[in-house]
Amino acid sequence: MSTTVAQQRTWRARVGARARERAGPRPPRHRQWLLWLGVIATIAFCLFPFYWMINTSLKTGAELNTGKLFPNNPSLDNYSSIFSNSAFTKALRNSAIVAGTSTIIALTVGSFAAYALARLRFRAKFLILAVILSITTFPPIAIAAPVFKLWTDAGLFNTYIGLILPFLTFVLPLTIYILVSFFRDIPKDLEEAALVDGATHFQAFRKIVLPLAAPGFVTAGLLAFIFAWNEFLLSITLTSTPDRRPVSAAIAFFTGSSQFEVPLGTISAATVTITVPLIVLVIIFQKRIVAGLTAGAVKG
Amino acid sequence: MTTAEATVGRVRAPHRRRGLSERQLAGAMLSPSLIVIAVVAAYPIGYAIWLSLNQYSVRVPGLSRWVGLDNYLDALKSSDFWNAFKTTFIFTGISVSLELVLGLGMALLMHESFKGRGILRATVLVPWAVLTVGTAIMWRSIFEPDLGFANQVLDALGLPGGHVVWLGQSGYALAVMIFADVWKTAPFMALLILAGLQVIPNDVYDAAKVDGATAWQRFTRITLPLLKPAILVALIFRTLDALRIFDLPFVLTKGANDTETLSLQAYQTLTQDRLVGQGSALAVLTFIIVMAVSLLYIRFVGGNIRTLSEDT
Amino acid sequence: MNSKLSSGLAIAFVAAVAAGCGGGGGGGGGTTPSNVGENAKTVTPGQAQNAKGNVNWCIGKDTTGAFSQVVKLHNQQNPNVKVKLTELPTAADEQRNQLIQRLRAKSPECDVLGMDVIWTGEFAGQNWLLNVTPAINARKNEFIPSTINTAKIGDKYWAVPFNTNAGFIYYDKSKVKTPPSTWQQTFSMAKSDGGFAFQGAQYEGLTVNFLEMLYAAGGTVLNSDGSKSTVDSPQAEQVLTQMQNNIKDGAAPKANLTYMEEESKRAWLTDKDVLLRNWPYVYAQAVAAKKNFGVTPLPKWQGGASASVIGGYNLGISAYSKNPGGALEFINFATAPAAQKKFFIKSSLPAVLTSVYTDPEVKKKVPFAAELLKGVQQGKARPVSPVYPQISEAIFKNVYSALQGTSPKSALQKMQSQINAALKTF
Repeated sequence: MSTTVAQQRTWRARVGARARERAGPRPPRHRQWLLWLGVIATIAFCLFPFYWMINTSLKTGAELNTGKLFPNNPSLDNYSSIFSNSAFTKALRNSAIVAGTSTIIALTVGSFAAYALARLRFRAKFLILAVILSITTFPPIAIAAPVFKLWTDAGLFNTYIGLILPFLTFVLPLTIYILVSFFRDIPKDLEEAALVDGATHFQAFRKIVLPLAAPGFVTAGLLAFIFAWNEFLLSITLTSTPDRRPVSAAIAFFTGSSQFEVPLGTISAATVTITVPLIVLVIIFQKRIVAGLTAGAVKG
Repeated sequence: MTTAEATVGRVRAPHRRRGLSERQLAGAMLSPSLIVIAVVAAYPIGYAIWLSLNQYSVRVPGLSRWVGLDNYLDALKSSDFWNAFKTTFIFTGISVSLELVLGLGMALLMHESFKGRGILRATVLVPWAVLTVGTAIMWRSIFEPDLGFANQVLDALGLPGGHVVWLGQSGYALAVMIFADVWKTAPFMALLILAGLQVIPNDVYDAAKVDGATAWQRFTRITLPLLKPAILVALIFRTLDALRIFDLPFVLTKGANDTETLSLQAYQTLTQDRLVGQGSALAVLTFIIVMAVSLLYIRFVGGNIRTLSEDT
Repeated sequence: MNSKLSSGLAIAFVAAVAAGCGGGGGGGGGTTPSNVGENAKTVTPGQAQNAKGNVNWCIGKDTTGAFSQVVKLHNQQNPNVKVKLTELPTAADEQRNQLIQRLRAKSPECDVLGMDVIWTGEFAGQNWLLNVTPAINARKNEFIPSTINTAKIGDKYWAVPFNTNAGFIYYDKSKVKTPPSTWQQTFSMAKSDGGFAFQGAQYEGLTVNFLEMLYAAGGTVLNSDGSKSTVDSPQAEQVLTQMQNNIKDGAAPKANLTYMEEESKRAWLTDKDVLLRNWPYVYAQAVAAKKNFGVTPLPKWQGGASASVIGGYNLGISAYSKNPGGALEFINFATAPAAQKKFFIKSSLPAVLTSVYTDPEVKKKVPFAAELLKGVQQGKARPVSPVYPQISEAIFKNVYSALQGTSPKSALQKMQSQINAALKTF
């Protein structure tokens, strides 16, 4: 039996506006094995390369370049060597500062803009939103060279601010995009009640809208943080010394015992080390991320 | 009594007037973002365009001359540019399609209710969180011809391909690049689609079941149409991202064996060859191409922006 | 990723923007492309004799401590000039990045610049170096002739060689009884006994590998005044055809198409291949791996001669130095036999002076000193040109495409036209 357009329409009409975690349909028993096969395949697909990285990080010497699935003599030498390497520990600090600050600024500045776009009445709103979103399509290569020139003239080359500002270019539009949808989902009557009670728009924003949009902040903040933490091209272009270089760029500067060696062991150990905090964050906020994306990106 | 009256008057005055007007407030709240965007996005792009209209001497420091659109004409006439164009679009087309199929499958799986679903959802996020440069270096070692893990496994299992020099042959090199990209970003796609799945209420399926629709019919006639907005957004995000791909070819092949993408070509012209005008022209062309593709999507994005910009 | 290449990213932006945007400086307005550094100042040996004051030496990280020892020795023996060592990072391209940043800013911080031989032409082209021709001419006989050619543009010298390097053939003694004396013999041995490893990925290393054979066969890249490319020659076609056949018939396994120095070394150390072209650094590692091996300078081309391509570092004097005389005084000290011997033994940096190789202590500590000297003596410089990066790219891209099956003739035609285009770069 085929469904009719009219039926579809009635089904669609029942689609709720609010994002809610919903349990999908429970599969019939005969499909269970298929499900588990899929689950195992997915987990293997997603985790194997990361396992490989851990595996490599535990190998030393000649064993590093063998394709063995397990290290013969697992050793933490690579880890102790990266932590005794001041270039790496400095880079960790730099990344934390740069990614953390970019995220906080993006959330603060972005939430103002998002509130204005979601709630306030003014002209050219469509245009402004279109411009902000079009920034997300900028290829980093197109701004890397001009920003480099601009920064060397302005004395911002190889500084934290010199990295944070261009990161904001990419992180802000995304933050605004997600937050606009979130703010729009908050029932307007709450704010109106506050306005009637004598609050200003800004107070309504601060006291009512912000707390209710917390999941959106988590999503936007995580996306922004991960972007800034992983960014490579700008990091490597706009810094020149270990004192300011973030971790993604620092890893690329690791050197081996000779000029030609690519130190796989320490690179893997460093990648694992800097990925673990992100994985922990992502796991903690996993539900929030899904909920955030639901509200932010899905409505057409 | 004037004091009392005044007090009362102040208290009763319409409160909105105490703050800025709505338009002023909007301006104040938007301006920090717009200033940041103007300084670090609009100005540099403008500057890049200006650079691309000039030629800068590589031999004599400080010498430059105006060449108008010559740098663009040179690029459009060179076969290297069109090869990079082709490579970029083949890469984008194949990897985004694979990500869509895989992402849809993973999303459906994550949407099922079973014990350990939380673990699955968390696992899927791992590739997305791993540092791209780190993974690219790792893929390179896995696909090494002699000692790489990929060839050892293929060899041990007696499968074909065990002696392929993956990164040393046209076609295979691109395949490795696509594989690495799919691994990294299919989870993000899956997450966006999962988000879309979650807003489809169960009663829609129940109604369809009552009407006797099969599982396949329910998937093609309910799930897919209702997922369209989520899928479109995911496709747009990923397409625009894939068109700008830089780090994977940079680490894996440096553009050898038909893996030179538009971004990489612009970068190499700017850096290796130090042709600032030509390189800027290539960077601007990359920008224009990405913009053009996003305009193709504008029908869908436009609807989205319009919804977001409507007054509530 | 190779850290060298990744740091190239940063540097190249420095260089690119430096080249493009220095308009305000206006210093170089009078120079024409064919006359690099026409207006540059010259340092004379006389200035060095009366020198005093401070000198800052900027060079890559002093991993073995030899640099600071020599600086200390200098300051004891020549107290008039006080030398300070500023260490740059370990990776070559990062060093270049740091130097270019300072030079762009016209910083007088570094007086003596430690430069990879292939940057010399570029730095001179940017007017960043002082002319040291008289200083070289005064000591010309001491140097291995090939080493000073890496600093020569036209008839002028822009730096003094500091250490040098050359490629070698390493062979597995259990399979290869007598070392090959020609390249052709090398490849036929490789074909019958088990493979030749070289640097065949699409990068600078492939340029070096190609030029070693091209120079041996008698081919050239540029004509004598450097104005035109002469790379499309019968000799080049012979070389490229041979390289292509090696891949086709398996003398050099296809895996070579992804090899850089490390990968090729590994393939040879793990017995995948019996012959290897690589730099001297492999020697110590092969000894450590207890490999039964031999090493020989790069062989002759049949019907030609033998040649290698020179690597290593040169010392230049910054155009912004406040003490060029002192800088030259120190350079003379660092390139004198005593210091060169120290660097050679302690840091394994091959000396640029012929006499050092016959020193008994050197012979004892560096067991393949004789081969090394021969390798360097037969060495030739890569084209010294401000547009060297483009020339090299034209070479390695087209050699790579020939290795993948493009006809050698058409690859060479393309290479030649691209190099000619590069030479005409504005």
